[in-house]
Amino acid sequence: MPNNANQSFLRRPVVRWGALIVLVVIAAVLPLVLPEIANDTIARIGVFAVAVLGLNVVMGYGGQVSLGQIFFLGLGAYVTAYGATHDWNIVFTFVLALLLPAVIGLLVALAAARLGGLAIAMVTIALPIIGLPLAKRLSDWTGGSQGLSSRFSDAPEWTGLYNDQWKLYLVLVIGAVTFVLVRNFVRGKFGRALAIVKENEAVASSMGISPYWYKVLAFTIASLVGGVSGFLYMAVVQYTSPETLAFHHSITLVASMVIGGAATMTGSVLGGVYYVFVPMLTNAIDPNLTAALQGAILLIVLFVLPGGLVSLPRRIAALRRRPSGQAPPGGASLAPDPDPEPAPTTTQNER
Amino acid sequence: MGIFIQLLIDGLSTGSIYAALALAIVLVNQATGMINFAQGALAVLSGYIAFALLNAGLPLILAILGSILISFVIGAAVERLLIRRFERGDPDTAVVVTIGLLTLITGVCAWLWSYNNRIFPSLFPNETLELLGAKVSLRSLGTFVVIVAIMGLLQLLFVGTKLGLALRAVSINPQSAAFSGMPVGRLLMVGWGLAAALGAVAGVLVAPQLTLTPGMMDNALVYALAAVILGGLTSPVGVVLAAWIIGVLENLAAVYIPFIGHDLKVVVPFLLIVVVLVVRPQGLFGRKAVVRV
Repeated sequence: MPNNANQSFLRRPVVRWGALIVLVVIAAVLPLVLPEIANDTIARIGVFAVAVLGLNVVMGYGGQVSLGQIFFLGLGAYVTAYGATHDWNIVFTFVLALLLPAVIGLLVALAAARLGGLAIAMVTIALPIIGLPLAKRLSDWTGGSQGLSSRFSDAPEWTGLYNDQWKLYLVLVIGAVTFVLVRNFVRGKFGRALAIVKENEAVASSMGISPYWYKVLAFTIASLVGGVSGFLYMAVVQYTSPETLAFHHSITLVASMVIGGAATMTGSVLGGVYYVFVPMLTNAIDPNLTAALQGAILLIVLFVLPGGLVSLPRRIAALRRRPSGQAPPGGASLAPDPDPEPAPTTTQNER
Repeated sequence: MGIFIQLLIDGLSTGSIYAALALAIVLVNQATGMINFAQGALAVLSGYIAFALLNAGLPLILAILGSILISFVIGAAVERLLIRRFERGDPDTAVVVTIGLLTLITGVCAWLWSYNNRIFPSLFPNETLELLGAKVSLRSLGTFVVIVAIMGLLQLLFVGTKLGLALRAVSINPQSAAFSGMPVGRLLMVGWGLAAALGAVAGVLVAPQLTLTPGMMDNALVYALAAVILGGLTSPVGVVLAAWIIGVLENLAAVYIPFIGHDLKVVVPFLLIVVVLVVRPQGLFGRKAVVRV
């Protein structure tokens, strides 16, 4: 590779730590100087980046299509809203907002993973479709069609911060911790085993890795991370209703993940950006056009950029190098992991 | 007793609609190995096409037949222009393609006809019939009869015609089929066209009940997928039976189990799935897949 020197430079600990410190400083200062609307938008991006991250665990790294991720976000949001309106301890509420989705995700996966192939996709499509009427029906807990609102995430007085600044800090801190934990997880032993399961279940079985349990585990973690995004959603939006669970949100999450880039951390963040910005843009043109444009964008990305937005710089670089005969031909296989550290999976860039 | 019979027939009628959609899904899956999540959206589009033809002045029956024909062409075109690139590739990517298609088609319907509900007339009169002390709507009965007739025709096509034989050959082993000189690509197009036409039947049958909206088929798609899981992907008859079982059970549960009611009856097929999965992971009528390393 011609840019070897460049890569090893990026890999040096000093450079990596330096970049991290710069990033942290920017994250710490930016909320203080940005206008309220920008803080609010970034916070929303963070919420959906975490939701997409969860989806990435089961879909990008695990190779199981889940169409129900929004259900776990909604569940986390409802638990948070209920806890906040009943003056529960906030840490306890947070833990419950992760655990309840994780337990329900575990139960769903225990049943769905028994079937092979696309069973998880076929079963999970039902989650938001069941969740919506259920949220309306259980009005004692969910507030029915009116939903629940709470201002638990307003800035405490001792901070001297505005609400939007405080909320953004909350999202940045919890989001960053979630990203680091998930990143370590998918690059560790679990991630390597998951990659083998994704590549070939029969081979995984012969190596003593149970495809069933790894699928169940991946789905459970995805649900748990979905719960985290739900907690953050309630913190940022401060309102949840059955509409939060609508089916098309779940589809948009899948689209965001693929468009951002499957099985990458950066892709999850880009997915969050897509989730927040595209409806804003299309609403400015014509609200009736949103779904059509989203579908078209997803198909175009699948056609021309199977690795997602995250692979764009490499694709461009490869195209520029091709005349000199350096780059191999082909599509998706051209786009290696954009993160500088080598990742364990062999199937990173299938999409 | 009267109510019970009424619920039974209504259940078979709604079950028939799920069955049409589920058969379309099985048809595509058997030919290409993918699950087409856009099948419901295609059916909605067919409903809107019939609606447009109707508004253009065509009589209802011609509008419906026209819509079925156009849907066949659309299905074939989708296979040729879009799906072909992803067939036999990574199945997850293929699924995401159909999800993109679902979003796109729903979006195009919303763009052209807006999210407002549109009234679509029923092919059958809105009258009821006395049957064993039960009031049974002609609409339910008609829906059931149409679907049964279509299943018969499909069975005839697959078992009794050369085209059917070729389609089955492609679905069982596309490579051998290609080696023996069959136009596999064209047959896959026909398979997708047939599936879309089948979806069109479901679309025009369900539209009068639900009124036309872009999201009309979301729930029906979920039921159809449940029927596919329960029936087993390899068994068209099993899928139809499962769809009927689901249709009847959800109707009975909606009335006889107070907590479920009409808004939560979508839970029924999934409780059923969990129970069945524990007992028979390959589905009620499916064969167990054998994996070779």
